[in-house]
Amino acid sequence: MREKLRTITQLLRNAFGRSIGILLSILAAVLVGSIIMLIEGQNPLEIYWLLIKGALGSQRGLLISLQRATPLIFTAIASTLAFRTGVFNVGVEGQFFIGAICGAFVGYAVKLPMIIHLPLTLAAGFLGGALWAFFPTIMRQKLGVSEIITTIMTNYIATFLISYLTNYPLRHTPTTPETPPVQPTAQLAQFVELSGGTIGKGTQAHVGIFVALLVVVVMYIVFKRTRIGYEWRMVGLSFPFSEFGGISLDRTFIGGMLVSGGIAGLGGVVEILGVWREYKDLFAAGFGFRGNLAALLGGQNVIGSTIAALFYGGMEAGALGLEWSAGIPRQLIDIVVGLIIFFMAAEGMWAFVRRIKWVRGARAVRRTTEDLEV
Amino acid sequence: MDFSGLLDILQRYVFNIANLQGMLRLATPVVLAGLCALITSRAGILNIAGEGMILFGAWFGVAGSYFFRSAWMGLLAAMLSGLVVGGLFALFSLKFRAHIIIMGIAINIFANSATIFLTREVFGVAGAFSDPNIAGLPPIEIPILKDIPVLGPLLSGYTFIVYLAWILVALTYIFLYRTPWGLHLRAVGENPQAAETLGINVQRVRFGAVMASGVFASLAGVYLSLGHLQMFTEQMAAGRGFIGMAVNTFGGGEPVGVFFSSLLFGIVETIGWRLQGERIMPVYFISMLPYLATLLALTVFTLRKQQAKKAALERAAHEA
Repeated sequence: MREKLRTITQLLRNAFGRSIGILLSILAAVLVGSIIMLIEGQNPLEIYWLLIKGALGSQRGLLISLQRATPLIFTAIASTLAFRTGVFNVGVEGQFFIGAICGAFVGYAVKLPMIIHLPLTLAAGFLGGALWAFFPTIMRQKLGVSEIITTIMTNYIATFLISYLTNYPLRHTPTTPETPPVQPTAQLAQFVELSGGTIGKGTQAHVGIFVALLVVVVMYIVFKRTRIGYEWRMVGLSFPFSEFGGISLDRTFIGGMLVSGGIAGLGGVVEILGVWREYKDLFAAGFGFRGNLAALLGGQNVIGSTIAALFYGGMEAGALGLEWSAGIPRQLIDIVVGLIIFFMAAEGMWAFVRRIKWVRGARAVRRTTEDLEV
Repeated sequence: MDFSGLLDILQRYVFNIANLQGMLRLATPVVLAGLCALITSRAGILNIAGEGMILFGAWFGVAGSYFFRSAWMGLLAAMLSGLVVGGLFALFSLKFRAHIIIMGIAINIFANSATIFLTREVFGVAGAFSDPNIAGLPPIEIPILKDIPVLGPLLSGYTFIVYLAWILVALTYIFLYRTPWGLHLRAVGENPQAAETLGINVQRVRFGAVMASGVFASLAGVYLSLGHLQMFTEQMAAGRGFIGMAVNTFGGGEPVGVFFSSLLFGIVETIGWRLQGERIMPVYFISMLPYLATLLALTVFTLRKQQAKKAALERAAHEA
């Protein structure tokens, strides 16, 4: 009984220590952000207020936040899954795009009733993303080539491949490089369409958010309750130990990476079917990288990453408004999020927090870099 | 097989002065990015932040050159940015124990957004910034050498950074193998615990290596933004930080190896430019070439290494 009580207090202390660390990181990043704004001659309080008001202050703002967060949830979950298995999948960006183009193709080229067409299109996106993750995964698992270089290379190859496809074989009009529009049977409805124009006027928020949340729930259950989820977590913690314990490394790594790429690709196709309804060349870069950041921000777990993606989406919506009204580039948000991650990752910097008596138990796991291969 | 046709193709795409000049030029940022990866990997650090450091170098090079009307000030500003970014990277990942790959990922994305933000806020333009007030680095004509046929045009008339990159390859070699600090660096990279017991300050050596890598990367960046055309373009590093890592792997972590593998990438890019002029295939496939070549080179390299290892094991088993 006493033992149990002690573990519980220990857990609470850990959680408390962690959230204190995150809060302080956010505070520090907001402070540095304020300094940047002061140098720019802006009032930081006003900017932050506009940012929050833009994201949450109106129905329209809320829906735009939701719209921006939808693809980020997919890419954040994809990154989380890979990071947790110990694979640094920085190719989420390319997998997102390949999923989007595969989905766009199946979406416009096939004519089927919605009940088959929509799932088929989503599946095409998932498979496209998984396929794009396949090459770096095999190179890592069979040859031992670092996935960081290879996934970045596949990102570049993906963008050029898609530029080719939208400019030549899949091109619809001679004026702009874009594919034909997706059939109505493969579209994800926007809230404004569903409500007949009463909800979400001027936004493109769509039911894809429910697909995203479904993925979150499924991944949460997979991680918590299934054998493969357990294996993914164990492999990420220590792969020599996992192998000793009888886990097939090949199957876990390759499976994890393929599902990660698939989820990223699913995010791409959902964005196409809900917002764009056709593939425009280079329609929106950066969702993959922001997903990487959101996963880091959310502490590389499913729920945390989802919250971080929603937060990031909201801040982006606010920043878009800010760009229109105050002329401040929206990249400010990426900078602030980047700063939060620097401060969060720097465990040693918060050592002084741990020296305070009531959080002394909170000692985060220290990871070594020595055993990482180049 | 008709060899004259092959020779003709080789001469057309590789062995003529213009192509070789292009190769040396295009290889320069890759050489510097490769040295950035080399100096940290030899100290046992996985530094994937080269890409971000290159971007910062490129931006500060243009900013310094624009505000002081001098390319040398641009060079200085870029190198300072390399020192600062490298120093912060070292501080966070070595002293504050941030996970080094996470830190690298964050720095790369941060550099991308920060340089876009700065371009819009400081210069008031989006996408690319160019201005007649940005001073470019002048070409250097080497006396005597420039008048020798073939060798003259091949080796003379590049900007300062091209020569600096060659010199740095030699200096890095000398540093690694002919100085006590280089010995310390290699010791730290090969066995940090042993180095520690010998009284080497591992932390300090690694700190120095990361800061040096920042300077190498910033020089690569400044070459991109001031070496040829005087402009800063968003995301202009275009993966060269990672190609530098690949070049370092491919070159076996040796300065000379890095130099020659970078030349290979220079050739691939020059051939790309050539093909682009001839409109043989869509430009998008040509743009893919450096990245495909990187993947291919890494695959071939690791396959050969695996084979060598297997052969060595078999030999050992045979002898035993």
